[in-house]
Amino acid sequence: MENTNKIIGKGIDRIDGIMKITGKASYATDYPAKNMAYAVLFKSTIASGKIVQINTTDAEKSPGVIQIITHENAPKLNIKGGLRGGALLQGPEIIFHGQHIGMVVAETFEQATAAAHLVQVKYQQDKTEKIDFDELAKNPEMPKGKELADLVRGAGKSALAQAEVKIEEEYETPIEHHHPMEPHATVAVWEGENVILYNGSQIINGAQTAAAATLNLKPEQVRIVSPYIGGGFGSKGGQWANLVLTAVAAQMVKRPVKLALTRQQMFNSVGLRQRNIQKISLGATKEGVLTTLAHETISHTAVDFEYIEPCGDCSKIMYEVPNSLISYRVVPMNLILPTYTRGPGKSTGSFALECAMDELAHQLKMDPIALRIKNEPKKDPSNGKPWSSRTTVKCLEEGAKAFGWEKRKAIPGTHFSGENLIGYGVACGTYPARQRDSSANIKLTLKNGQVYATVEIAASDLGTGTNTILAQTAADGLGIPLSRITMKIGDSDLPPAAGSVGSVGASSFANAVNDACGKITDELLAKSGKQFFVRPTANDLMISEKIAAFETQSSSKAPAEAEQYSAHSFNANFAEVSINKLTGMVKVTRFLAVTGAGKILNPKTARSQIIGGNIWGIGMALTEESVVDPRYGNFATRSFADYHVPANLDVGQLDAMFINEVDLIPNKMGVKGIGEVGIVGVAAAIANAVFNATGKRIRSLPITPDKLLPS
Amino acid sequence: MIPFKFSIAKNQSEALGLIHQHQHAAFLAGGTNILDLMKEHVAQPTEIIDLGRLPLSTIKSTNTGISLGALAKNTETANHPLIRKDYPVLSKAILAGASAQIRNMASNGGNLMQRTRCSYFYDINMPCNKRVPGSGCAAMKGFNRMHAIFGWSDQCVAVYPSDMAIALSALNANVKVMQQNGSERSIPFTDFHVLPKDHPEKDNSLNHGELITSIELPKNNFASHSSYIKVRDRNSYAFALVSVAAGFELEGNTIKTAHIAMGGVAHKPWRALKAEAFLKDKAATFANFIKAADLEMSSAKPLSHNKFKIEMGKQTLIHAFEVALKG
Repeated sequence: MENTNKIIGKGIDRIDGIMKITGKASYATDYPAKNMAYAVLFKSTIASGKIVQINTTDAEKSPGVIQIITHENAPKLNIKGGLRGGALLQGPEIIFHGQHIGMVVAETFEQATAAAHLVQVKYQQDKTEKIDFDELAKNPEMPKGKELADLVRGAGKSALAQAEVKIEEEYETPIEHHHPMEPHATVAVWEGENVILYNGSQIINGAQTAAAATLNLKPEQVRIVSPYIGGGFGSKGGQWANLVLTAVAAQMVKRPVKLALTRQQMFNSVGLRQRNIQKISLGATKEGVLTTLAHETISHTAVDFEYIEPCGDCSKIMYEVPNSLISYRVVPMNLILPTYTRGPGKSTGSFALECAMDELAHQLKMDPIALRIKNEPKKDPSNGKPWSSRTTVKCLEEGAKAFGWEKRKAIPGTHFSGENLIGYGVACGTYPARQRDSSANIKLTLKNGQVYATVEIAASDLGTGTNTILAQTAADGLGIPLSRITMKIGDSDLPPAAGSVGSVGASSFANAVNDACGKITDELLAKSGKQFFVRPTANDLMISEKIAAFETQSSSKAPAEAEQYSAHSFNANFAEVSINKLTGMVKVTRFLAVTGAGKILNPKTARSQIIGGNIWGIGMALTEESVVDPRYGNFATRSFADYHVPANLDVGQLDAMFINEVDLIPNKMGVKGIGEVGIVGVAAAIANAVFNATGKRIRSLPITPDKLLPS
Repeated sequence: MIPFKFSIAKNQSEALGLIHQHQHAAFLAGGTNILDLMKEHVAQPTEIIDLGRLPLSTIKSTNTGISLGALAKNTETANHPLIRKDYPVLSKAILAGASAQIRNMASNGGNLMQRTRCSYFYDINMPCNKRVPGSGCAAMKGFNRMHAIFGWSDQCVAVYPSDMAIALSALNANVKVMQQNGSERSIPFTDFHVLPKDHPEKDNSLNHGELITSIELPKNNFASHSSYIKVRDRNSYAFALVSVAAGFELEGNTIKTAHIAMGGVAHKPWRALKAEAFLKDKAATFANFIKAADLEMSSAKPLSHNKFKIEMGKQTLIHAFEVALKG
């Protein structure tokens, strides 16, 4: 019988929700170990130079101290093992302020912390340190990465000269931090030559191979355990020094060791979103047909490794335009390496592009939605491939209707509500839809006439609901009720899988589980030796054939034909802001994100993920900024008192709508991914609403009250 | 945090006795600031004296007004019916500060004793005359967006972070203090906190070993015409860029007396004396509000990153005046 009672697509509660709210879900530091010792990192207080002397005498005498580890006694590690950001205690060289320079291992966390303050360090400072972005950005360098080479279509930027209407503006975005609720933490337990690392990891197998390579071990000697993760947003995608240094400490003191970064250490230990200056040049006809689009980005990166978010990505594909230029220049700085940060490149890039489109619409006296629809590309402008599907126009049209866009006043600064100015803004976003290689194992058992399934996959759940959507997938795929499905994820001993990164998690994991369900059903059918008119479920077969236990494993990859298409999630964001006309304080009173992301496996967890992205987008637009002191290279904004994430009062009514979309080209289940796209276009929609409210175009984020003062 | 001795004082005289014995001892009330400072190694007391058992948490009417016990919690104070009715500016100011959780722990006396939130003060690797006298001021030429525009010295440009204190300044409160010898003295609120001058390590006029017992609020005639406006980088749980507590004693449309204090602009609650003097016996008109605000802000001396506070100060003053007038 065809199962008409499918649970995929239903907004069920998280299967691990009760575990989480009752504290039974174990995060990295929750793993108990006998005889645990505690490691605390200490960090450099210069940005560039070298350590001349580390005096640990006083620290060693401090109560409870077991060992102090610095570059002078740390074991030799493979610095090219695949960890991000260096800082592995391999030498006296310092390349950024806050670089780990050692750790104290003690009987308690407090004792280790106290002793760390007693370590005395003498430095030889390099006065040519690169810490002043404003100065350095005057002479940026060519990027080394081939994917960052100038991309010119048609006549490139030179076509701008002939354009009837032009916009040429610079947009600035500051350094931002991930700051997941759960700071990075590791418990390391050695068993002979092997080590178990309890550590929140977005890519389980990636963490395993990087840790093993860095520790000069074979991958099978390292086990990563990470069933629950308290958020990551990219900062737990690549792994950082703290993972391996915990293993080093445990090896040196011959005890299990726990190392948890403090919130302050999170600012300069686990990557960040780079600072960018983006110049957008738009040329158009008087009728609003785009003729030129140039997106030129200057970004900071680290001195030892080049990573920058690709801010020009949205500009490559969002609009039909015959002449375009996408370029990158970089500014190496003595700061921790930037890394993937939610909606990498797209969230920041869309801020520039979508504000510029709003500026163009204003100049043309056109509705910004109409301008976007007018320049909708029929195929991917960057490579000529057909879209697997594209929902931008639907998102705009359905969103405009639901949001009440018609109430927007076209003339800025004319919509009042008491002492407040009201504004509406719109902006679009996109993120690629991809499936990555993953495998899954399914074990079925028959007990008292009921079939139970255990699904095993080295997937990760950032808190987004991976466990739940995979259980839903298995329930439908096997014909077994959800309550009889046990999920095992987040362990490198399980069948290898992709990561919860780049919006590939849901598509890669769910297709792997779905394929495994298909395979186990096929094998059970073959085992039965019978023919059926209607394909039975694995559940039916286990019962009818009285099979006590059955198991299979399968691997999945993206369909080969997916390569011939351009597949992306798309969205349209609508913001309403209310701004006190005297004090300039902004509140996002309403926000609507309309997303076309193919099959939505669980509308409840999907909504949470989208509005989570929206909230960070509100932070990006209005509050979040990390400031480097150009004299020292440290962060002058060094705690949550200075680095403002949105509070409840900053977040008004949020709504998420999904376009009903069936697109089976990118993968068999038609899942396109929602993790990244939820933040893309959000800051632009808010900045555009601020313009609509006030007539002030703020091109430098965040839009703090000082930028909106009457003048 | 360094190891420290923990004592519980059973009464005021025991508290005073304990603190007298140790130059590096500190009182613990709500703990919402001292514990942070200890974790950050900014404060390193070797002995902590818990005041939690002291009978100082009463809020009561007196012949002259209201007495706020030093250990009464911020939340209780803000929500007290007498405060809501007769001192709404204080209630609003307290509720504009921190978060519900912090206000539930924070005491009234402790609120006055909190230290600046200058990030260079908190970062023990940075020079800071307030933390280490003579080490220099990193904020002077650093990221000083949050810092002072009035009354700073070449030693220190920090601002006082409390919202509650701004209202107390406008209300002409008095701080009652028990001295070492057990006798009491009363400090006018406007003299309680001090400007940095050459001794930025000193936030206030308390001597080591003195204990705040209560805050005395005199009666006022502007409860129905008062306001507290706070401008900050997000809508809650952020320190003020600029804040204003204002109260007008009105006769018809004439301002008999104006009570105005500003936060986020100086090392102490900044009593807007110029604006107060200007508005005295003037009509409560928008034009006069603008003149008073301009006059007050005309003596501001901004730093490299906080010039905006002059315009923001004007706008916030005007906004606070308008709200106070409407009542």
